[in-house]
Amino acid sequence: MADELELFQGTLDLLILKTLTWGPRHGYAVARWIGETTHEDLNVEEGALYTALHRLHKRRWVSADWGVSENNRRAKFYSITAAGRAQLRRQSDTWSRYARAVFRVLEAKA
Amino acid sequence: MIARGFRRLFRLERTGADVDRSVDDEIAFHFDMTIRDLVARGISPADARAEAERRFGNLGDARARMATLDRQRLAHDRRAAWWSAFAQDLHYAIRSLRARPVFAATVIATLGLGIGANAAMFGIVDRLLFRTPHYLVDAGRVHRVFLARMSNGRERITQNLTYRRLLEIDSLTTGVFDKTAGYFIANTAVGSGIESGEQTVFGASATFFELFNAPPAAGRYYGRSEDDLPSGAPVVVLAYSYWQRAYGGRADVVNRTLDIGSGKFTIIGVAPPGLAEEFGDKPPIAFIPITRMALVLFGNESVPDYYKSHSIGWVSLLARRKPGISAEQATAALTTAYQRSYMMELADAPRMAPVDRVKPRGIAAPIVRERGPQASQDTRVATWLEGVAAIVLLIACANVANLLLARAVQRRREIAVRLALGIGRARLFTQLLTESLVLATLGGFAGLAIAQWGGAALRVAFLPRASWAASLFDARTFVFTLAVSLIAGTLSGLAPALYSGRSDLAAALKAGVREGTLHRSRMRVSLLVLQGALSVVLLVGAGLFVRSLLNVRAVHMGYDVDHIVYVSTELRGTPLTPSQSAALKEQQLARVLAIPGVERAARALTVPFWMTINGDFRFEGMDTSAAWRREITRQAGSADFFATMGTRIVRGRGFERTDTRNAERVIVVSEALAKAAWPDKDPLQQCVRMGSDTAPCRRVVGIAENITLGSITQPEGLHYYLPIDQIGEGAGGVFVRVRGRGEAQLENIRRALQAIMPGASYVNVTSLSSIVAPQIKSFRLGATMFVVFGALALGLAAVGLYSVIAYGVTQRQHELGVRVALGARRDQIVSLILRQGMTLGVAGVALGAAAALVAAKSIRPLLFDVSPFDPLVYSGVVGVLLATALAACVLPARRAARVDPNVALRSD
Repeated sequence: MADELELFQGTLDLLILKTLTWGPRHGYAVARWIGETTHEDLNVEEGALYTALHRLHKRRWVSADWGVSENNRRAKFYSITAAGRAQLRRQSDTWSRYARAVFRVLEAKA
Repeated sequence: MIARGFRRLFRLERTGADVDRSVDDEIAFHFDMTIRDLVARGISPADARAEAERRFGNLGDARARMATLDRQRLAHDRRAAWWSAFAQDLHYAIRSLRARPVFAATVIATLGLGIGANAAMFGIVDRLLFRTPHYLVDAGRVHRVFLARMSNGRERITQNLTYRRLLEIDSLTTGVFDKTAGYFIANTAVGSGIESGEQTVFGASATFFELFNAPPAAGRYYGRSEDDLPSGAPVVVLAYSYWQRAYGGRADVVNRTLDIGSGKFTIIGVAPPGLAEEFGDKPPIAFIPITRMALVLFGNESVPDYYKSHSIGWVSLLARRKPGISAEQATAALTTAYQRSYMMELADAPRMAPVDRVKPRGIAAPIVRERGPQASQDTRVATWLEGVAAIVLLIACANVANLLLARAVQRRREIAVRLALGIGRARLFTQLLTESLVLATLGGFAGLAIAQWGGAALRVAFLPRASWAASLFDARTFVFTLAVSLIAGTLSGLAPALYSGRSDLAAALKAGVREGTLHRSRMRVSLLVLQGALSVVLLVGAGLFVRSLLNVRAVHMGYDVDHIVYVSTELRGTPLTPSQSAALKEQQLARVLAIPGVERAARALTVPFWMTINGDFRFEGMDTSAAWRREITRQAGSADFFATMGTRIVRGRGFERTDTRNAERVIVVSEALAKAAWPDKDPLQQCVRMGSDTAPCRRVVGIAENITLGSITQPEGLHYYLPIDQIGEGAGGVFVRVRGRGEAQLENIRRALQAIMPGASYVNVTSLSSIVAPQIKSFRLGATMFVVFGALALGLAAVGLYSVIAYGVTQRQHELGVRVALGARRDQIVSLILRQGMTLGVAGVALGAAAALVAAKSIRPLLFDVSPFDPLVYSGVVGVLLATALAACVLPARRAARVDPNVALRSD
């Protein structure tokens, strides 16, 4: 699929943290939610997504716990921590400013 | 069962194995969900799996990364948990100590005294025995060279070689040593005009600097071409401290001149800080070439000879082994070299004793002087005192352990409650141990303070170098103190912590406050007995040293030490003929006698403990092979010599003004010499010849009492005296006898005499007591420190015994109340308690006395004229200890006797 977009560095963390602001989810749910929200435009390799989840856990931006999934299976649930929310705020500010700047250049009329 | 399953299901991974399983579970769940959703959309299971794998990407890679990240997180968590538990323990410990400030202060002070004693002694022993000179490269391969030879039936070891011997040994040992350097430290006049004064100057071979990795702070060192035979260049390298002191550290000192001895030297460089200061008791102010030092020492006229002659030993040799050569090989090579050198000497002087009688031998000794063959008595005493300090600390630890045990009993209920609330026993144990470690660390700081301020006098007494004595605080002492503190904390905290962790929950919760099974605890009893025993050992040591000191003080030296001052003259290049020199000495006598407070003065050739001159003494019918002939020493004095020194003339007369050069030749002999020479004749009027059998006859005119010359512990008595005018003019110095102590008059005498000194010459004035004091020092130090440490130990043991007995009385209040109610008389109660305490005291004394008897043998070489089994010392110590034990028990016993059965029985 040539028209899928590659992710910028650090953007995946941002997406995961944002996803978790609506409540604890397991990895599969995070992957599905990102896929559906972006209409599959973003090419998120799921292996990279899990690695990112574990990295966020190590940094204490998310916490993890084993729980029971909607179909009664044992699943690992992630939730965002206070530190994670702070990081998300910082990152999304930066990201929006960056995106606005890029847009202004791209849409500038000569 | 259910609870366990639940926990297991929801538990997050905790170990490495868990991590792998957890990552696998997570991935498996993800795949199952993906495939289930795809299948639900109508894709075949096989295609669904392929699609899931495609979407996941590199599975192995992701799995490994996830596991690694989890492991890192777990490791971090564990560290954080440990620190937080530690912080909590610390917080808890500090809170519980602050709740009982008196208890905490007692423990800190007790440990502080013990740790302080150790820190102080470590600071000294470390500096004496374990520090190699700064900058020295491969200090383990560098040796001080000593030479030993038999003389008069004794082996004499020296570090002072003749320059010729140094050259010969140097050339004969090139196989084992890759670098050698000679050095000699001398006091000589430095500077000119008003700034001149006597300073310590370090003569060193040019190769000396090559042993160190110490680039000069300014300028350069001298090279081998400037340290050449017969006399090196007049160049000088300043010591850093002298450069700072005398020149304010100015860079332009290089190429200036400095007067040393009677010569002018060019300053060519400055040594880095600490290089010169490492050597000598007084730090040298400068380095000069050793071959130039010979000129300063021996003067111009003897220069052509000093490196060819075997007559004066002065220079010391440092030698560095080649890599791969052992110290034993080096010693063997030195011995061979010394033997060959001795044989060459023998060829020049065939009258010397043959090699097989002299048995020359070389020693490659450690660079640290106090570990070599000439270690001082002080160092041995210091090493003993380090051991004594360790015993004091043990006693302190035993005391603290006892206090903590008593406290553990009081806290049984509190601890039982905490156990009941679910604290793990391991955690409880760490918490209690943390408490004693906190106490020990605080004790360590108290100890450092005690060692720094209380030990200052000690350092001055033990350490030869002023730079060492200034401060104790350095990394090594600090680390040592910390380690000792932690060991002490563990030692004293281990037993109480273990005890608390073991306590029986239900029993403790049910029991009343006063109830306790511990009042007969075997551990506390053995700790007390141990304390008592160790105190006995220390006090026996103290007693033996005190008796030695008293004996040393009581030694009759044969002259008065306190009232005598010695004046020596340094001519410093001022040319004086022998008769001018003699006239100067006569002027000095006249001048010094005019000072108020000076009673007498006389000229003399030698000074006790500084130097002795062997005598040559023969008479008709003498047994020339007698061993005593080689032990004779001689002195010369002017009129009034014996009265000035306070040496009693037993028979005949001393010297008088009429004993001049041209008068009849006379001699005075010591009692011991008279007895050895003429066992059954009257020594007076006997004829004695000096030097040869044909020399003119000297009449014995007097017999003087024996005197101590070289060493207090080895009295030497074979001694004779000649009138100083009859042995050559102008030699020697002047002894002055003053009213009161000699020290008080030093400056008066110096100023009076300096006024009449010609040219650049000057006088040195020294009290005889300062010359003799080092002989007594080790006994004085040993006695003082053993008494201090012994008293400390006794005090600690007494407090320990008191607290245990008093605690026992409190514990038994109920029982004692019952006894009184049943009709026990007060004296019966008192004797009950006393008996309990004294049993412990007697057991400790018996054990300690036995240990002391075993240990005392090894202390024998440090004692003077007292048996290590001296009954007076032992009985005294036993008496003191039992009296102390009794005193410690009396107070609690009287309290026990006052127990009111009504109060005691009703209170529980």
